[in-house]
Amino acid sequence: MNLRGSVLAVLLLLPVEAPTRAHATVSPLDLVEPVAAYKLYVLDQLQSLVAGTRAFTDAVKAGDVARARTLYAPTRMHYEAIEPIAELFGDLDKSIDSRADDHERGEKDAAFSGFHRIEYGLFAHNSAEGLAPVADRLMADVTELRKRIEDLTLPPEKVVGGAAVLMEEVAATKISGEEDRYSHTDLWDFRGNVDGSKKIVDLFQPLIAKDDPAFAKKVEANFAIVDKVLEKYRTADGYQVYDKLTDMDRRVLAGAVNTLAEDLSTLRGKLGLD
Amino acid sequence: MTNERFRDKAWGRTIVDRRRLLGALGAAGSAVATNTIPAFAASAPRNVTDAPADSRVLQSQPFYGPHQPGVVTPRPAAGMIASFDVLATNRTDLVRLFRRLTERIAFLMKGGSPPELDAKLPPADSGILGPIVVPDNLTITVSVGESLFDNRFDLTAFKPVHLSRMSKFANDALEASLCHGDLSLQFSSNTPDTNIHALRDIVKNLPDLLLLRWKQEGSVPAMPPKAGGQPESARNFLGFRDGSANPEAGNAALMDRLVWVSDLREPAWARGGTYQVVRIIRNFVERWDRTPLQEQEAIIGRRKASGAPLAGGVEHDEPDYGGDPDGKITPLDAHIRLANPRTSEAREHRILRRPFNYSNGVTKSGQLDMGLLFIAYQADLTNGFIAIQNRLKGEPLEEYIKPVGGGYFFTLPGVTGEGDFLGRALFAAAGMAVSGQ
Repeated sequence: MNLRGSVLAVLLLLPVEAPTRAHATVSPLDLVEPVAAYKLYVLDQLQSLVAGTRAFTDAVKAGDVARARTLYAPTRMHYEAIEPIAELFGDLDKSIDSRADDHERGEKDAAFSGFHRIEYGLFAHNSAEGLAPVADRLMADVTELRKRIEDLTLPPEKVVGGAAVLMEEVAATKISGEEDRYSHTDLWDFRGNVDGSKKIVDLFQPLIAKDDPAFAKKVEANFAIVDKVLEKYRTADGYQVYDKLTDMDRRVLAGAVNTLAEDLSTLRGKLGLD
Repeated sequence: MTNERFRDKAWGRTIVDRRRLLGALGAAGSAVATNTIPAFAASAPRNVTDAPADSRVLQSQPFYGPHQPGVVTPRPAAGMIASFDVLATNRTDLVRLFRRLTERIAFLMKGGSPPELDAKLPPADSGILGPIVVPDNLTITVSVGESLFDNRFDLTAFKPVHLSRMSKFANDALEASLCHGDLSLQFSSNTPDTNIHALRDIVKNLPDLLLLRWKQEGSVPAMPPKAGGQPESARNFLGFRDGSANPEAGNAALMDRLVWVSDLREPAWARGGTYQVVRIIRNFVERWDRTPLQEQEAIIGRRKASGAPLAGGVEHDEPDYGGDPDGKITPLDAHIRLANPRTSEAREHRILRRPFNYSNGVTKSGQLDMGLLFIAYQADLTNGFIAIQNRLKGEPLEEYIKPVGGGYFFTLPGVTGEGDFLGRALFAAAGMAVSGQ
């Protein structure tokens, strides 16, 4: 990864003037370094995603259901962490991560593919039968995703906006346990989304804290609440199934996530981005 | 502090805008008064998407007073109940919740201009009522559930005497996702959009303190104005008038007896409050519509068209059960006879019903999912709703209705003025810090 090239590319994308009534003291130049650092994070996650998907799809194709089941959640966590960037490519996102209810005929729909299609086979039917072509396509899709993102200059507003997008993602679909409805590994995805969002906030933290320390502190406190609850459900090799989450903890998570979504929705404006 | 400043600024602007708005609406209003409906039909060419013009959007209800609004306030056309889990985990945050809620309600009921923020930020208001929020006759009524008095805030000793978790009655099929809650908000206004605007405002402003649990919207059908004579009750989705035997909400002495809590056995903070019962009661309307009229009338105990008792007369005539001991006129198991046997005991425990009709869509069986969002207020929950519902056990109407949700709540006493806030008396009684800002 050529960090300098990326920095230059980012510079060209930034607004020339800084009409930041929301936040006057952040200059576009201040954003260059965190955006470049974020790209390194994304590429890192993509590398893990590609390697993980290779092992996962190999297990599926070998009919090793037990192994495939254990690899499902840790693999897709890397996708969840960078979802706002991955989603820039709608065709791939649909192919990699759509859920049965995104398709008119649900699980029976021929277009139902990707992680959740394999999840359906592995967890609802405890079988890898007929999944080989789906696995091949998933592997091809994540490889293609990595290639496209490598070539992409990350738009700063997408990067900063991504922190809130990830929280919206959790608030809308993860908190209900409907994302991984066959495997109930939602807490892994939850962790992926939260880590991805926290990474963005951390990278821009010096800029945020400089102008609005109270805001920065509040955001940090809510991330800490989420962390504390998720840690309660950690196991030796991951997270407990979603059904174990108590009503009380679900409410605590929902409150912290909704508040983060609300607060982080102001982040672009605070940094003077459109 | 910031809020105070904003309010002053906002109001300076609002008064001007509103005067203009009022002027414009005044002209339209008088045209309506002199010429009625054809005046509108004959006016300049209109676009199909023009907003319906209605000067009632400027109607407002007072927020401050010894009792909360929305209980004895005449029921407008649109209502909603939203139930929440309280997310506060300590007493400081609990007080912050009720202060913030009070601020939002005071603003929403009065109307005005939300602050204008930098366009790079999400707007402060959803904007669904436009840049000037009109009051539209909105009331928001705040009530608390039995679960708020659990050990989280150490409030157990201060629970109103009759407040309990709603338990299942024989004919109920309660769905957990539609029941109970730490806090209920009743929204009533002239239009559903105004209620939704208010709900979204509260959800947006208190994300760390309240989590929506369930909600149910409803409506009341309007009737043409009647020249002279007593107004008639609105109809429910069974086609019958609902509320005919309601105590007169305009009679303050009667409300003090039947609705507002004054019992010395109740905690002192609760005086001026009332018990709220919410029930989501599904009606099997297809089956009801296939039931002979005389059977429908016998089940309810009233004439369908007029709402009069079965002996005849008009809606508000009292049925004479003394002269009909065997139920030859009004069957002994008719709904209105069981609900209110017109004994002196029943008379003293009448409840104030303020329901809305709801319609939610289609069931898996292809039937209409609709019914009654039953809301009632009373000073004594045990001898009020619970006693009535127990008397109704086994009534023939049960074949046509199925309660699926709701809960019992205690409607807090009113907010007396700007320094006061909802729940202050309760929190003060429990030893929480409630003074200052």
